[in-house]
Amino acid sequence: MAARNVGIVFRKELLDTLKDRRTIVSSIVIPLLMFPLIILVVIFIATTVIPKAVSESPTVMLKGEEGAPALAKQLREDKDFRVVPFSADYVTQINEKKLRAVLEFPAGFEANLQSKPEETQILKIYHYEGEIRSQAVLRQLESSVKFFGENIVTQRLAAAGLAPSEVKVFGLERLNVASAEKVTGNIIGFILPYFIIILCLTGAMYPAMDLTAGEKERGTMETILASPVRRSELVLGKFFLILCVSVTTTALSVISLAITVLIGGAQLAKVGKGIVVAVSAQSAAVVFLMVVPLAATFSAALLAISLIARNYREAQSYLGPLMFLVIIPGMASMMPGVELNSKLALVPILNVSLVAKEIFAGQYHWNLIGLIFLSTCVYAAVALFAAVRQFNREEVLFRT
Amino acid sequence: MIEAQGLTKIFKDKKRGEIRAVDGVNFKAQPGQIYGLLGANGAGKTTTLRMLATILQPTSGTAKVAGFDVVDDPEKVRSNVGFLSTATALYGRLTSKEFVEYFGRLHGMDEAALAKRIGEIFDRLDMNEFRDRRCDKLSTGMKQKVSIARTLVHDPPVMIFDEPTIGLDVMTARVIVQFIRECRAQGKTVIFSTHVMSEVEKLCDTVGIIHNGKVLAEGTLPQLRERYGEQDMEEIFVKVVGE
Repeated sequence: MAARNVGIVFRKELLDTLKDRRTIVSSIVIPLLMFPLIILVVIFIATTVIPKAVSESPTVMLKGEEGAPALAKQLREDKDFRVVPFSADYVTQINEKKLRAVLEFPAGFEANLQSKPEETQILKIYHYEGEIRSQAVLRQLESSVKFFGENIVTQRLAAAGLAPSEVKVFGLERLNVASAEKVTGNIIGFILPYFIIILCLTGAMYPAMDLTAGEKERGTMETILASPVRRSELVLGKFFLILCVSVTTTALSVISLAITVLIGGAQLAKVGKGIVVAVSAQSAAVVFLMVVPLAATFSAALLAISLIARNYREAQSYLGPLMFLVIIPGMASMMPGVELNSKLALVPILNVSLVAKEIFAGQYHWNLIGLIFLSTCVYAAVALFAAVRQFNREEVLFRT
Repeated sequence: MIEAQGLTKIFKDKKRGEIRAVDGVNFKAQPGQIYGLLGANGAGKTTTLRMLATILQPTSGTAKVAGFDVVDDPEKVRSNVGFLSTATALYGRLTSKEFVEYFGRLHGMDEAALAKRIGEIFDRLDMNEFRDRRCDKLSTGMKQKVSIARTLVHDPPVMIFDEPTIGLDVMTARVIVQFIRECRAQGKTVIFSTHVMSEVEKLCDTVGIIHNGKVLAEGTLPQLRERYGEQDMEEIFVKVVGE
């Protein structure tokens, strides 16, 4: 009898929710489109706006070039920037972004290079810190000047009877031994756990409000309470619907993200800049398993809290601050140096964030995973119990 | 059959302290009869009816509805009651049919019996025109019919109406009044609350005048007329409450 009634309530809430345009948009359309859109925008900026900013021939001035004719000539022949005649108001021009950088030579630069080789002269580059184009020119100038300097070094070595290879004592080679999964998993594990936790929460928010404060506001609370369904059956039916929406939102978002990254990765591979993104099915499955009880905790807690509210507005004012309580521990995956141990495994939300990070990187501490799964289930049960108790309190249900 | 004995409901308000919304109410309503609960706003009518429908729990006292105790067997009571009030709104996104079906299922009806019953009710109340229309797209009169259909779907022996004609136009109110009469004709126990005197005179077999949570006077219309020496219900009411 109880299970049947829970099923009837669940099916009705599902029918009602599917007819609600707002829920369809926030729980299906937005999750499906959100990540692809964000990534497309980022790619667009990275591939068109930034290169464009960098490719326009930026302007550079040379100050005191009389003492450095050879270097000045090399700089003028450099295709990365355009040397314009020097003017005294260069600082203003840099600030107004009309000029990208100025290279200042000390007096008698090249003469001193020959006659006083032991003296370290300073070339000054004036630039606009943090401004993209100015930074680009800064790097190009430094690289050009460095090339000039290397030629001087080769000349001096030849004069002393040394070959350049004798100056380079040893080389360094970097060899990555972490598998592709671990490398990308580490990157993914940095930000994805946080996203997943936030998605679980936001996915549950709207249905939780709609099924409690919304019922009060629309006046249907009394109607359903006069029917033979038990309060606990009513709560469970609503709870399962909220959980369903939360999990669906999260799953859709992650799937659409995965597809976008795969397609994007394939496209980039064609252009030559391939990235290997490897997430194993096993890690995805285990993370999903860890997230479900967390979604259950959120669903039950949101249900209990928004039941106190008289209407949507009030519900939103309660649930808004709740987001912060979740965001901060959720960010654990992004905090360097925070490693999972048996104590942290009991801290809600934080534990799921950290363990998801490890799992994406291919690390499976099964005992901690089990501990976290169980503790999250306990928290979910406590939250659900609180929700059922709330539904039995007349002063909460009939609060006007 | 409805029996209330010493039915009491006390609300605790932070500012005003204890409020005895219903204070030791006793009455009996018989099958095939209409019992009217007459009182001003805030007299305790809605709270009394909500307790009978097990929406609220009594603080003390008992009530038996259709032979079941409201505190001990609330689910059995609800299975035997059809409850209608101005506050019993509809689920706007569901169609009339989906709405009535939901409650039919909660009453334990299987799909076949439910479909047949809905067919009967929708025919009788002339609702087929808006059968598949969303409830938030219905007129007030249509919405009332849908509410009535919901209370009828499980054919309960007891009907509880809380100010059922408030805010309705004359024609729609007549539909409700007619429906209440039909319930009586079918042998159901009917109790309804109102503060409209003409309804009391039109419908009630027994009247209970409630004020400040207490039933101050009770009886059939002829009995009350004789006891208080007035023909007009309003005059009787004023006399009773004025005491």
